[in-house]
Amino acid sequence: MTEPEAGRAQTLVPARNGAALQRYRDVLIALIAFAVLASLPLFTGSKALLDFVIRCSAYGLFATSLNLLVGYTGLTSFGHGMFFGLGAYSFGLIMQKLGVPIPVAFVATLAITAVVAAIIGAICVRLKEIYFAFVTLAFQMLIHSTILSWASFTGGDQGLRGGIPRPASLGIHLSNHVHLYVTSCALLILGLLAMRQIAQSPFGYTLRMIRDNAARASFLGIDVWRAKLTVFVLAALFASMGGMVMALFVSGAYPEFAYWTISGEAIFINMLGGVSTFLGPMVGTVLLLLLNDTVTRFTEYHGIVLGVVILFFALGLRKGLLDFVAEWYAHRRETGEGR
Amino acid sequence: MTRTRRPGISRRSTLALMGAGAMTFAAPWVARAQAKTIKVGMPTILSGRVAQLGTSSRNAVMLEVEKVNAAGGLAGRQIEMVIRDSKGQPQEAARVARELVNTDGCELLIDAEASSGAFAVHEVARDLGVFCIHTNSETSALTADPKQHIPNAFRTARQGVHDSIVGGSYAAAIAKAKGLKKWATCSPDYAYGRDTTAEFTLYLKRFAPEVEIISESWPKLFQPDYTEVVTKILQAKPQALYSCLWGGDLTSYIDQANIYAMFGQMEVFAVNMADYTALTVVKNLPKGIHSGNRYIKTFPTTPENAAWGDAYKAKFNEYPTNWSWENATAIMLMAEAAKKANSADGKKIAEALKGLTIKCPFGADGTVTMRGDDHTLVGYAIGWGTTIPQEPYVPEIKAGDWKTIFELEAEWKKSKGYA
Repeated sequence: MTEPEAGRAQTLVPARNGAALQRYRDVLIALIAFAVLASLPLFTGSKALLDFVIRCSAYGLFATSLNLLVGYTGLTSFGHGMFFGLGAYSFGLIMQKLGVPIPVAFVATLAITAVVAAIIGAICVRLKEIYFAFVTLAFQMLIHSTILSWASFTGGDQGLRGGIPRPASLGIHLSNHVHLYVTSCALLILGLLAMRQIAQSPFGYTLRMIRDNAARASFLGIDVWRAKLTVFVLAALFASMGGMVMALFVSGAYPEFAYWTISGEAIFINMLGGVSTFLGPMVGTVLLLLLNDTVTRFTEYHGIVLGVVILFFALGLRKGLLDFVAEWYAHRRETGEGR
Repeated sequence: MTRTRRPGISRRSTLALMGAGAMTFAAPWVARAQAKTIKVGMPTILSGRVAQLGTSSRNAVMLEVEKVNAAGGLAGRQIEMVIRDSKGQPQEAARVARELVNTDGCELLIDAEASSGAFAVHEVARDLGVFCIHTNSETSALTADPKQHIPNAFRTARQGVHDSIVGGSYAAAIAKAKGLKKWATCSPDYAYGRDTTAEFTLYLKRFAPEVEIISESWPKLFQPDYTEVVTKILQAKPQALYSCLWGGDLTSYIDQANIYAMFGQMEVFAVNMADYTALTVVKNLPKGIHSGNRYIKTFPTTPENAAWGDAYKAKFNEYPTNWSWENATAIMLMAEAAKKANSADGKKIAEALKGLTIKCPFGADGTVTMRGDDHTLVGYAIGWGTTIPQEPYVPEIKAGDWKTIFELEAEWKKSKGYA
């Protein structure tokens, strides 16, 4: 699923066929992945494993959506966590204050996120590189401070208290652990599939062109600002979905969800897993959560262990794990062809 | 364009890898607790800015658990503590708490989390129905708000509103005696700082209506430099200052205010001063700062309390903190409730714990009570005194009156719509 592989089509017609084929293949993989994940509770009674997958869904959606910006568009956002927090808070508040059915709250949260992301994005995407990174960080801190100071509405630093009500709707009881698990898996797979479609669409290739040479894209008649804004809003939507899964998991929302450290974690996940393959961030998510969960079991000095791992990836591999594997595989194939 | 990749093989090996991965994951999670020992899970903060307090919670718990185990354990079952770091992040606290119950087989929880982490663990307790004692969250709403109430969760920490009532009445008495009318406040800018300050001034004005607040400062939490705050207060020329800064913030504030000789110019009421973490760290502790007691081995002035403080110091080579006594009390209450119920079952312990009064070194009259209707600790030692620069630091502490606390607390609950 690496980019060179996807970009190999030579003429237009086979490319279209190829794209259609690949879409079927992606859908098939998604269906199989969902079937495997959804049938897991049949084989194991381990609630911890299910908890792990739920958290992977939340962080996976969040980190992969960041990769739409970082890996595909070349926009390194330091403030992506604001949409994770925004999703968690909007969803939690709507459920607590209005008591609407969960799907309604879900859609409403996405709508709120889209509006906020469009406003913030309109300001941010005009900027490049470090300026873009810092303005997104500034907006994140603005949202975080708002959550902290608007204590009568958001609960301040204590977070949304009293639990998020989870009434049954459409036959799904989210207060039931297995139902919550299957729903999280479904959201993860649907989210990943949608992001994959975005990445492989002509729009996705436009983003890559903007990343590699924005001036050329502009000369070719592409409205760079509009394309960047669109992907900024789309990425925010998926981050917000991740936030909602997390809010459902902890039955609350806390200001830490909108703090810069959450954005930092997503960037770290991308570094761990790799940004040039679509599933890199997903691999990074599983790696980070596994590391975190095992290391914190044994020591409170987990910072040292994680630091060493970062150093290993940054100085040793010089890329994310899946990038490394993909390159190694491509290299092996090339030398195989040469023989 | 030749396709050299043979389809199938990689997929099969990937599946095999996934399977192997799932097995390695699941194996430790299948392990269950032995029936004889009882595992008690404890998420707390062992890294980052407040790690010292988390560590002191762990120390106190281990000190008490040893005693309980030596005396035969919880209804005949030896306690095994499983203590994990939550890094002070609520989502980690929730995860760790769930993991402790679901994976490690912990049957009871001691939630040694602060603020938002405690609420996150509270939701886990609600969800899983596991017995849980909150030991560090002082936020009144955790037990006062009926929406938070669940039958399986309790709190053995002091409570914000209790502190404010006692502090307000103590400060008002001094304000009247010394004619202190102009007050300033300086508290950290987050929910605890804002709420505690508002409640303190509410009760101060109630007992001494002539008091007015002429200046308010809200430094950020963990702010390194307090120069502008100190000069702002000095310019306002108040007769008295209230602050609920705590820990490192309070000690840096005092060190910096000392440069301006602030403490000679006004009476200072710092509720969190009388804790060893602050008292022993300040370079020149000024004489005469008014403070509420946090943990101090000279209050209550009983041999039991002094012995407990010394035993802790002997074992861990430092003095206990406010979180220490709160956690020790949790273990004491749990052990006593298990004895009464003659069972280590969470439901039976919870039933026995309601309204239970036990002998305790930290009680105002040698006992503390787990109040039955809102599951929170009452009757603990609470009072105010003034500092001196050397041990015992706060020689005389005037005890708060629990009768007044109960009356005003009931009134406060009504005003909040909790009762």
